[in-house]
Amino acid sequence: MNIPFRPIVTALLRNRTGALLVAVQIAIALAVLVNAVYIVKQRVDHVGRPTGMDIANMFVVSAAGFAKNFDYPTMLSEDIAYLRNLPGVISASPINSVPLSNGGSSAFTTLKALDPTNRLRVNYFESDAQALDTLGVKLVRGRNFREDEVLPPPKVLFESYNGPIIISKEYAERLFPGGDALGKTVYEPYGAPVTIIGIFDHMIGSWVTDDQPTDIMFLARRPAGPTARYLVRTQPGQRDVVMSKVEAELGARNRSRAINYVRTMEYYKARSYLSDRNMAIYLTTVTTLLLAITSLGIFGLATFNVSTRTKQVGTRRAVGARRLDIITYFLVENWLVTTVGVFVGCIMALGVGQWLSLEYQLPRVDLYYLVGGTLALWFIGLGAAWQPARRASRISPALATRTV
Amino acid sequence: MIGYYFRLALASFRRTPGLTALMVLAVAIGIGVCVMTLTIYHAMSGNPIWWKSDQLYAVTLDNWDPNEPSDKERPSLPPDQLTYRDAEMIWSSDIPKHSVIMFRSGGILSGQNEQAGFDPVQVLTRVTTTDFFSMFEVPFAFGNAWAASADRGPEPIMVLSHETNAKLFGGQNSVGRTIRWNDREFRIVGVLAPWQPQPKFYDLNNGSFDEPEEVYIPWKWGETLRVDTYGNSSCWKPDPINSFEEFMRSECVWIQAWVELPDSSARERMQSMLDAYTDNERKAGRFPRPRNNRLTDVGQWLKDQRVVQSDNRVLVGLAFAFLAVCLINTIGLLLAKFLNGAALSGVRRALGASRRDIFTQHMVEVSAIAVGGAVLGLAFGALGLAGIRALYSITAVGAASANAGYRGLAHMDLSSYVTAVVLAIVATLIAGLYPAWRIGRLAPAVYLKNQ
Amino acid sequence: MLEMHNISKIFRADLIETHALRDFSLTVNAGEFVAVTGPSGSGKTTFLNVAGLLEGFDTGKYQLDGSDVSRLSDDERSRLRNEKIGFIFQGFNLIPDLNIYDNVDVPLRYRRMKAHERDERIKSALDLVGLGSRTKHMPSQLSGGQQQRAAIARALAGDPKFLLADEPTGNLDSLMARQVLDLLEQINEMGTTIIMVTHDIELARRAQRNVHVVDGQISDFKSYETRATEGFAAAAAP
Repeated sequence: MNIPFRPIVTALLRNRTGALLVAVQIAIALAVLVNAVYIVKQRVDHVGRPTGMDIANMFVVSAAGFAKNFDYPTMLSEDIAYLRNLPGVISASPINSVPLSNGGSSAFTTLKALDPTNRLRVNYFESDAQALDTLGVKLVRGRNFREDEVLPPPKVLFESYNGPIIISKEYAERLFPGGDALGKTVYEPYGAPVTIIGIFDHMIGSWVTDDQPTDIMFLARRPAGPTARYLVRTQPGQRDVVMSKVEAELGARNRSRAINYVRTMEYYKARSYLSDRNMAIYLTTVTTLLLAITSLGIFGLATFNVSTRTKQVGTRRAVGARRLDIITYFLVENWLVTTVGVFVGCIMALGVGQWLSLEYQLPRVDLYYLVGGTLALWFIGLGAAWQPARRASRISPALATRTV
Repeated sequence: MIGYYFRLALASFRRTPGLTALMVLAVAIGIGVCVMTLTIYHAMSGNPIWWKSDQLYAVTLDNWDPNEPSDKERPSLPPDQLTYRDAEMIWSSDIPKHSVIMFRSGGILSGQNEQAGFDPVQVLTRVTTTDFFSMFEVPFAFGNAWAASADRGPEPIMVLSHETNAKLFGGQNSVGRTIRWNDREFRIVGVLAPWQPQPKFYDLNNGSFDEPEEVYIPWKWGETLRVDTYGNSSCWKPDPINSFEEFMRSECVWIQAWVELPDSSARERMQSMLDAYTDNERKAGRFPRPRNNRLTDVGQWLKDQRVVQSDNRVLVGLAFAFLAVCLINTIGLLLAKFLNGAALSGVRRALGASRRDIFTQHMVEVSAIAVGGAVLGLAFGALGLAGIRALYSITAVGAASANAGYRGLAHMDLSSYVTAVVLAIVATLIAGLYPAWRIGRLAPAVYLKNQ
Repeated sequence: MLEMHNISKIFRADLIETHALRDFSLTVNAGEFVAVTGPSGSGKTTFLNVAGLLEGFDTGKYQLDGSDVSRLSDDERSRLRNEKIGFIFQGFNLIPDLNIYDNVDVPLRYRRMKAHERDERIKSALDLVGLGSRTKHMPSQLSGGQQQRAAIARALAGDPKFLLADEPTGNLDSLMARQVLDLLEQINEMGTTIIMVTHDIELARRAQRNVHVVDGQISDFKSYETRATEGFAAAAAP
């Protein structure tokens, strides 16, 4: 097929304005598309990270005593006993803060006691021997806490801890890169030694936006009051039933304390990822609208080009162009405009990508996205120009002999 | 004449209804997206106390670890809160016109209203000195703030938020009633009017757009009742803390401090006082880092604390790119429309219309599209904001979402409406300038020939 | 070389039927220069469209260069137009955005010729019509006569079996018209068949043979010259 590129280009250059307007739209659309897809993918990946916990079957109860001299430790053990005995419950544990809740406690450990440098930050949880079970977290090395190792709640918020700890795989690697952390001793912020008795697989902690959200440490100590948080894990499918029971019954068991809330873990997960989800939705919506408007522009230009050249099309047909030749002519013309737009758009996309990587401290956009975006816009351009091109091919060659 | 052009415009729209509808729609969608994004951005980057924001200063001192800064990402900034002892020092200074030290906590409210005893409920509590209310111009519906002496007592008195009063007492004047907070009796001395500064500039620790606390109690109750903070508390020193007293004496930072300094001389005096204080404390072994005491006004504070996040800036950029595409699209469609109807303009020119007449006639057409697009765009913007509100609501058993504030943000106020309308019309008019000019420029003869 | 037998074409618009061509038969031999005349509305434009395969017809038979072209597909008709017919239009119909060279090039592109061969043909066609020095000019830069000559070059470049001219001098002044006619005669002398549709009797006289169309039908086969002679002869005879 002999496509007359040069004549198409010269003809196009003589009617630049419309083509330029469309090319600019395409350029902007490509720049937006490439980067939007990149951001959305980042968010989707971020949200899709495995939590390491049995989120679907867990819920949280928050209770607080308010009387003077309220007996917090007794409330704790009574409530936990009640929760554990409910039908459908696998396990329940008190915990100092709820994972994924965007609130929690962080400290650091050092390899030498009271070392003012080389502090490795860690998100820690205080709970009992059933904590790992309640969370659904898998121990991969070592052992769990024993009942007799679990200390009672501390009197103050920042009490020093001297005992066994269970840490995440990632934190173990950070403390002892390439080596074996099991059995080793490290030091908590006040200089007390803590021994690593177990290493668990993977869990996301209090803050999903943290740089290292999986650096986690468990202490065998019931958390301090006066507000208690209980994590409960149920059999699959039993969560809502058990939650209703707890909402109805727990408050009445102890009138000197208030039940603040009973919430699912799904709530916390959704809340943590709310802005990511919304950003992804928003970006997808606006980008789709943008592409729709751009194809509208392409369609408009193509229609206009056809309608101003009906005589020319008739003449071409008269001198021997087939319908397919006419379609090809207009599609090629359209493709040239799209390609100019895509070329400029690629440069813009890289520029925008550079700016984004500064804003978000993320690596730059992969070239794959550029290629994909280019193909998408070529495809869109073709689709939008198809109908006007087909309409042009239907112009009768007899138009050439008409004198109006 | 304008009326005549308007009739011509309507006739022109009737001739190409599909194309006209597309143009109005494209403009409207572009405006809608822009309006929606800008409304939210405006609300987020807003300064809720802008009329006073250059007199209010957050006080921060760098009492942190000599080996590393408190924020590794912004090493030049001191920690954003103070220790208990440093905060009380600021409170005792008479240099500022007003000063407030405070922290966020929680407690259980119990007691009775007219009908019956209400279920004990946990409420977020701000433990604060009384100047909080005057400095931040917090409006009262009933009663007023407590006297300064009550902070020292401390007197068992409390101020309720509007929502708490509505929940417990049905919104009636509850001043004078007693209520139990953590099972201790407090007397209500004030009830706030609805108040929700966006962002919550005075304490950004647990959610910049959260709702303010539900009850307020005088300062010394924190010490007296050993009230734990529900906000952030950070400690760098490894000294053991075995009691609340040790916590208060420690280097842990957990108190927010703000001062009102009406002019630059007060500011200078405050700064000198802070510097002298820390220099003195350094002799006793505190403040091991280089001196870095700051008084930061509200505007700068919001910037330093990065209230407006990357996401918002990206979305604003996107909105403008979208608007640009919509307008360029409109230019193209207008060009096509006008050039297609060029023969008619050619006839008019032959009959005596000047270039300016043709230009004006077409600009009237553009204006009609602009107004149509603006009106429809506002509707789309409102729709979009409703969509955003929906995206940010989470149904949960009982509690408010951490981003409850976003729902409040996504409301258009009058100034946004006006801005949006003006933006829409001006943008469309600019888009129409080139096509209208082009059509005016055409030699009439070209389009009169039957070729 | 062109044989039309009993061609009829009917235009239907709502309830109105127009018989543009009825029972129309015509034979043109190779090398002839035929003028088709008739008043406006007589159907000569329709004849032109049918002869040039620009439109189909309803009944009858049409043989072009030995083959039956009555029931051809659109693609096949396009190919025939491209290879066998050269069109010359009243309004020239040059593409305004292309220069003369590219305009003459247009039908050759659809022939899928190599660039080298196209170039040769374009240059020789333009030389033949006397525009060899103006290949880069745009149509708007040429006079009417020059534009029509460019259009003739376009028609000739593909070596067609016959030229189909529709009112070729209708938009030209008398001087240019004469030049174009001279050119057509010259081309005919070189062996190309020409069918010219016109309402201008003076113009028709320059052709070898005249065909008069009235109400969609041929009315007379004789040339005007012959008729005039006969008329004089009849007048002269006592």
